[in-house]
Amino acid sequence: MLSEAEIEVVRLSALVAVLSVAASLLPGIAVGWLLARWNHAARALVHAAVMLPLVLPPVVTGYLLLELLGASGPLGRAWHAVTGGRIAYTTGAAVIAAAVVGFPLMVEGIRLSIAGVDRRLEDASRTLGRSRLQTFLRLTLPLSLPGVLAGAVLSFGRALGEFGATIVIAGNVEGETRTIPVAVYSLLHQPGGESAVWRLVAVSVAISMLALLLAFALARRQARRVEARP
Amino acid sequence: MILEARIAHSLGGFTLDVNLASRGPVLGVFGASGSGKSTLLHVIAGLIRPREADISIRTRTVCRKPGGTWAAPESRKLALVTQDPLLFPHLGVRGNLCYAPGARGEFESDTGQRARAVLRLDPMLNRRVANLSGGEKQRVALGRALLSRPELLLLDEPTSALDAQLARDVLSLLLRVKNELGVPMIFVTHRAPEIMALADDCAVLEAGKVVAQGPPVQVLARPRALGVANLVGVDNLLRLKLVRHDEPGGISILDLGGPQLAVPLCEAAQGEHVALGLYADEILLCLTAPPGLSARNAIAAVVAAVDEIGREMLVTLKAGQSVLKARITRAAAAELALEPGKPLVAVIKTSACHLLGA
Repeated sequence: MLSEAEIEVVRLSALVAVLSVAASLLPGIAVGWLLARWNHAARALVHAAVMLPLVLPPVVTGYLLLELLGASGPLGRAWHAVTGGRIAYTTGAAVIAAAVVGFPLMVEGIRLSIAGVDRRLEDASRTLGRSRLQTFLRLTLPLSLPGVLAGAVLSFGRALGEFGATIVIAGNVEGETRTIPVAVYSLLHQPGGESAVWRLVAVSVAISMLALLLAFALARRQARRVEARP
Repeated sequence: MILEARIAHSLGGFTLDVNLASRGPVLGVFGASGSGKSTLLHVIAGLIRPREADISIRTRTVCRKPGGTWAAPESRKLALVTQDPLLFPHLGVRGNLCYAPGARGEFESDTGQRARAVLRLDPMLNRRVANLSGGEKQRVALGRALLSRPELLLLDEPTSALDAQLARDVLSLLLRVKNELGVPMIFVTHRAPEIMALADDCAVLEAGKVVAQGPPVQVLARPRALGVANLVGVDNLLRLKLVRHDEPGGISILDLGGPQLAVPLCEAAQGEHVALGLYADEILLCLTAPPGLSARNAIAAVVAAVDEIGREMLVTLKAGQSVLKARITRAAAAELALEPGKPLVAVIKTSACHLLGA
């Protein structure tokens, strides 16, 4: 079974992943809607910018975040001026790293499911007297909900496995930023750490597998929902 | 006025340029696919922003461009029912009916209950929309539109996706909605008989322009534009040379390529060609020319073919160089012993000859 320290690592990983998903859900829905419904020349540019963390080496993403949020970065300094604390090397930094890296997966899931909602249904809702916002909340969002959840689950899985950006901006602080990948990396350098590594690897594979299965089930449900039209 | 609309809009190579008014209750807009009927309704509903327009519903101006007034679709108090019922798949029948703001209250009100009764909605309230038949879906779509309490109901080919029997059913429902609920409508279709049945006023749209407007009986049954006649499906469309006018007699004489045809006095010049529409059931057939005839035309013809069409016989006649089609009953065809080669006299009233575009 897992040792107390290992349980702490798993608990922290889950906490960081859940918080990162919670923090990016609303912005993810907003950006996903924008990319699905906004017909503007700048859309491709915005889309590329949102997708960037998916293709950038996570270490590079972490470095850019450090430049922004570190003790000498503009946001880091502002945060220090207001609260007296720091962002880098805290659980908050691990959450931010996980959120940024998981964001493209979430947005893509949301964008695709919103784009799959028949615009003529939205037109029908408008002529029936519902505003754009009401139409989104009563029609578009419920119809794309499984896809939105699938995007959230995928980004949760990605957040759980986040290493490169986390190690740069959040470091390897036990109980604060030592998530499963960081712990596995540390254990690999310790003699006799293999059995602990295997236990964490097993937990990691199990959670990721469950997340993927859940995401696929939700995506299938989304497809059925959109096809339910006449 | 229920509606006044002046719209100019271009999209790709298509231009919509119309000036329409409706005193209600039902304005029928008739046109082939691609004539701009759907675009017209979408502009009125506010789903398309036109290049230039001035649209008012009752007394409210909902769009004036250039100038700036723009009412969002949700504030126009219209409802649009299209060929595809577009029911919301995540809601049941009741959820769809009660979707519009205030529809929950309207659902229970007297008018709401009447609408539910007319559309026979109550037995299916708890069903899922995916399990409804095509006709049932269209009834729910109509109910959902009516419960939003529209000042004007826009109907975009609501029967086109249905088979003939269901289309008739929906049409008779629309007639009851018109008569019993008194909701003004703009009804767009490519089926002329539906306009005849439902509309008080009719506009014919061709290539984005209104080519005819007036009472349906005049516009559709007495088509004045060649395009309209083609769309409606007039049996005899002829293009004949004008021989002379008889102004005192109020007639003009056309050449059938041998025999002559008297038509209502027209403005075409001698030698010009005139387009003419003539319904097959307005031609009488006689074995010999009857004496003392008020009809101006008793034309010698020969039977070319006799075809049974439903309960009637379509007789194809050769008169001079022209071909005429006459529709008679099976009984008449038997009594006259019609067969190819038999000589006949075709009697045609002057007023049955509808000059097109003249």
